[in-house]
Amino acid sequence: MHSPTLKRRQLWLLNSALILICLFALIPVAATVLISFKGERDIVRNPPNILPCDTPTSAFDPTQCRWATEGYQRVLAPKPTAGALLPWALTGNIVRVYIPNSFFYATTTSLLVVLLAGMAGYAFSRYRFWGHQTLLVSILAITGVPLLTNLLALYQIGANLRKAQLPFYDDRLFLVVVYLGFFLPLSVWIAKGFFDAIPRDLDEAALIDGCTPVGALMRISIPLALPGLMAIFLLTFVNVWNEFIAGYLLLAKNELKPAMFGLYEFLSQNIINLQVVAAACILIALPIVVIFLFARRTFFAAMMEGAVKG
Amino acid sequence: MIQAPQATKRSKLQRWLQRSLPFWLLLPTVVILLTVQVYPALYTVWLSFHDREPQGWVYVGAQNFERLFGMGLFAESVGHTLVFLVGFASLTLVLGFVIALLLNRRLRFSGLYVTLLFIPWIIADIIVGIVFRLLVVPDYGLFSGILQNPALFPPDGLSVLTAVPPRPWFGDFPFPPAPAMIYLILASTWRALPFVTLLLLAAMQTVPNEVLESSRIDGANSRQVIRYVMIPLMLPTIVVALFSLTLSGMNGVGMVFSLTGGGPGSSTEVLSYMLYSIGWRQLEFGRAGALALLIGLVNWGLIAGTLRVTRAHGEPSGEEQ
Repeated sequence: MHSPTLKRRQLWLLNSALILICLFALIPVAATVLISFKGERDIVRNPPNILPCDTPTSAFDPTQCRWATEGYQRVLAPKPTAGALLPWALTGNIVRVYIPNSFFYATTTSLLVVLLAGMAGYAFSRYRFWGHQTLLVSILAITGVPLLTNLLALYQIGANLRKAQLPFYDDRLFLVVVYLGFFLPLSVWIAKGFFDAIPRDLDEAALIDGCTPVGALMRISIPLALPGLMAIFLLTFVNVWNEFIAGYLLLAKNELKPAMFGLYEFLSQNIINLQVVAAACILIALPIVVIFLFARRTFFAAMMEGAVKG
Repeated sequence: MIQAPQATKRSKLQRWLQRSLPFWLLLPTVVILLTVQVYPALYTVWLSFHDREPQGWVYVGAQNFERLFGMGLFAESVGHTLVFLVGFASLTLVLGFVIALLLNRRLRFSGLYVTLLFIPWIIADIIVGIVFRLLVVPDYGLFSGILQNPALFPPDGLSVLTAVPPRPWFGDFPFPPAPAMIYLILASTWRALPFVTLLLLAAMQTVPNEVLESSRIDGANSRQVIRYVMIPLMLPTIVVALFSLTLSGMNGVGMVFSLTGGGPGSSTEVLSYMLYSIGWRQLEFGRAGALALLIGLVNWGLIAGTLRVTRAHGEPSGEEQ
């Protein structure tokens, strides 16, 4: 409700309420950062203290805080190496194997989703063909289907494919295809929405000027749809990065595990070392948070486009 | 179909390619969806009527379902799921609505608030589970000192992840929920809240200002405007948000995995987690198939409901031009 003039006092109240809500919402994030910078000595204390700043004589002395980076050190496990670009190499599994794997899955899936959803969205937006509406609504319906119930079947397909020992096949390929199947439908809708927003007259003008349909696509529609395709890329990237259960159930080999899988195992190996778990969480969530902060407008646009659909 | 004027001069092959262009554009997507979505769904139906015997898969009729319903844990899991969904969906909707109302006034820092509030939504559910776990790990968690203090939480303090559930009030129905279940609801709400807030905020901003003004001129106070004007106008979005929360709550398993692991005992074992334990821990694929089919049917009901609501209320993007 937009009342024309909000009174100063009201405005002040409203702002402080929102600031409070924001602070409250960020408590878990702040707490994780706090835990990740504690030392083992302060983690295993019973009863626990919130800030590692107490001394035998006082309950809180900000000059005596025992901040530590051992959580990060144990996740990264830097070892000095000679001849490398950096004076040390990071040998922790999370940074050496799992995060690069997640980058691979997220990037590959997102690129393919952009390509395929771009093609399908363009077809839906620019052509009318037999079954147009049926197919579009079917894809919309599939958008809502969660991964979980299909995993039993996918698990068995994956196991059979692994047994068949096909050339060039490994579980990575299968996982990417599974991710494609789950993140494509929404993206097709988003892409169609973005192509719909580009005036058709532009295409037609190009065609009349002698451009081929493919040329019109490459020179007019794709450049204009680029922000939309970027949004699809980012949304898919975040979705794949954050996905846990499919990666957990469909992959067997250690060197193929994505970050969420690695993190989950890490949790059971470090029941007591909370600072190590917290540091691992932060390192894995950080890329996504940074991407989000830089591209939040793109995100909101894509999400709202997708949310109203299903 | 767009036809270039020179099309007649082109070779037959080119014309054919051009006319079938939408088909080629859609083919990869359709093939992938058939393999990854349609075939597994049919396979799950098949699976739920079969069981693995030493000689291979045999048709067992409705036996998988009978055995599933015969498990004591099934009824209990349905109860847990209901408690979780009602708590999660209502808490998220109410809080989301209130925060959206606050954000709906144009403030100088609205953009900043939205950005900050939105951070929880982009953090993976498995990480959210771990983070919330770190706060209340028995004895060592950041807030365990406060929660386990007997003076604050009589009689022996509250250890969220290990406290036994209270005695149920209605027969076997798991209500009131265990502290771990309440905590699971809070963690899930924390993560889903930004999305629902933004969805409701977007709907709120489409309520025409004149409607609000005229109802105010007619003498409605703020609460009446919200109750009798805004909520009815936003109803389609509220229903969509409710369905989408139920859908994600039904199927989200990551947070249960990392926060409680179904425990203590079985007090946070919801249906999605039960599907995982029957399928991948007990390797009872037939029974798991039966459960997956049941969850899938609920999902389809929710999806169909969402489609009906969005289509009935003039969803513009699905229309022909």
